[in-house]
Amino acid sequence: MSVDLSVNIGGLHLKNPVLTASGTFGYGREFSRFMDLNALGGIVVKGLSLEPSRGNPPPRVVETASGMLNAIGLENVGLAAFIKDKLPYLRTLDTAVIVNIYGQTVEAYAELAERLSDCDGIAALEVNISCPNVKAGGIAFGADPQSAHAVVAAVRTRSQRPLWVKLSPNVTDVTTIARSAADAGADALSLINTLTGMAIDVETRRPVLANVTGGLSGPAIKPVALRMVWQAAQAVDLPIVGIGGIMNTIDALEFLIAGAAAIQVGTANFINPSTAVEIVDGLTRYCEEGAIRRLSQLTGSLVTSARE
Amino acid sequence: MLQFEASVLWNAAVSEDVYHLGLTAPSDFGRARPGQFVMVRIPRAPGALLRRPFSIHKLIFDGGRRVSGFELLYKTVGKGTHALINYRIGDTLPILGPLGSSFSANKPWRRVFLVAGGIGVAPMPFLADRLLAKRLNPEDCHVFIGGQSAADLLCQDDFRALGVPLTLTTDDGSAGDQCLITHPVEAALDRSPPDALFACGPMPMLACLAGFLEQRGIFAQVSVESMMACGMGACLGCALPVRDTHAPYRHACIDGPVFDLDQIAV
Repeated sequence: MSVDLSVNIGGLHLKNPVLTASGTFGYGREFSRFMDLNALGGIVVKGLSLEPSRGNPPPRVVETASGMLNAIGLENVGLAAFIKDKLPYLRTLDTAVIVNIYGQTVEAYAELAERLSDCDGIAALEVNISCPNVKAGGIAFGADPQSAHAVVAAVRTRSQRPLWVKLSPNVTDVTTIARSAADAGADALSLINTLTGMAIDVETRRPVLANVTGGLSGPAIKPVALRMVWQAAQAVDLPIVGIGGIMNTIDALEFLIAGAAAIQVGTANFINPSTAVEIVDGLTRYCEEGAIRRLSQLTGSLVTSARE
Repeated sequence: MLQFEASVLWNAAVSEDVYHLGLTAPSDFGRARPGQFVMVRIPRAPGALLRRPFSIHKLIFDGGRRVSGFELLYKTVGKGTHALINYRIGDTLPILGPLGSSFSANKPWRRVFLVAGGIGVAPMPFLADRLLAKRLNPEDCHVFIGGQSAADLLCQDDFRALGVPLTLTTDDGSAGDQCLITHPVEAALDRSPPDALFACGPMPMLACLAGFLEQRGIFAQVSVESMMACGMGACLGCALPVRDTHAPYRHACIDGPVFDLDQIAV
């Protein structure tokens, strides 16, 4: 039986619903030694800003129970170097390239979106309003419905690319931000970014991370992510890209059933660099064994009727 | 092959908290260079999600010149390494590697110092072996090893077998002179300076070396460690400060772990 894994995310056709999450997959090329990148549904590249950014001082990462905290602080090469050094390679790939963008002001987001829209080889933009590790930008826009609306609306007027908006779990009600982003013209929502957390060295009584707090990722956050994807999928009429602790095919299926149209693999890339392609294979087998012709049928198929 | 499953050949204690692990590898692991590292996943470590980085200690040859495995020398410091000691012959471990930069072992050095502090000696036997293979005279490959006490002075037999001069120091005087290893290094630098110095050990040791090597203009490389998640330049977690406080950070996994000493702030 041939299985159709393809999905449509707000007008963008993906050959399958498995992407790699921003900040966990470099600019793609780093992983070409481990897999055929063309097997992926898409690659979301490292968060990009207009100017290069050094990121936060070290230490930046620490392992926690079934997860890790990071406070990288969006270190990146900046727009000019991205276009010159990273994009030419990405263009050679037969997979969707999604550029994650952030700025310190609404205008910076909009300008970056506009300048990227002039570039070939970019399938969509993912607007990052949810990084917990930078003071300005990121979460400053993602925790408040009006600010989120302002950023997304500004980007929308300056770019014709499909627009995904990456949401933070560090809010009281993710559905209010989801609705704001939808009202402002988002084509899809990706969630969740990391959960703010911290770790302390009891010998020195210092925070382990130089930034004091960081973003928690990995299997530890999967149940929270799943719940938020489920909530967001019911609150808005937009495709949801599910993210949060996905380590294997079963995890990916849970997100699809909860309402995600596609998923992103993040922290798992650090542990097993070929996780994402293994999930593509796993989804194919799941469909074959369950006689599911189109994987997209699974999206939102959660059964909530009374148990017998 | 950069990602493979290795079988444990042996896993033996060499001191109270240091173990020597032999692992199989595909023959193309022979491209590994001294100073490079591997990322090891330790599935049996409860709650240890991430791989752990280890310097390559030595290569294992299958009788001829074909590489059939490699060795690690590791100290039990956290839940990963404490679980690692329970792996037995025939058990498997997922490996990524060899990764990262290496010591400049292929240049025609005439006189070299190797300086190691504690478990920082791990990459040095591989390095010494390569230097001698490049026709460096054993007597011109002076090895300095420092530790807290005699049990911390590892790999002495390896270096004796290579016939290289060996200077030892301990903090408690239980072996060698009771002083920091940097003392005899500095004295030897003045007596008969090398044209290269390679070091691995605690940051204070590297900082001390940087101080007196800079004055003398001697080429030096150091291997550093850092917390890291991926080992391949994706997470950017292993950032290291550089001397210019406005310059981009370097990353221990892809720019390092071996750096020219003047490239990073130690």
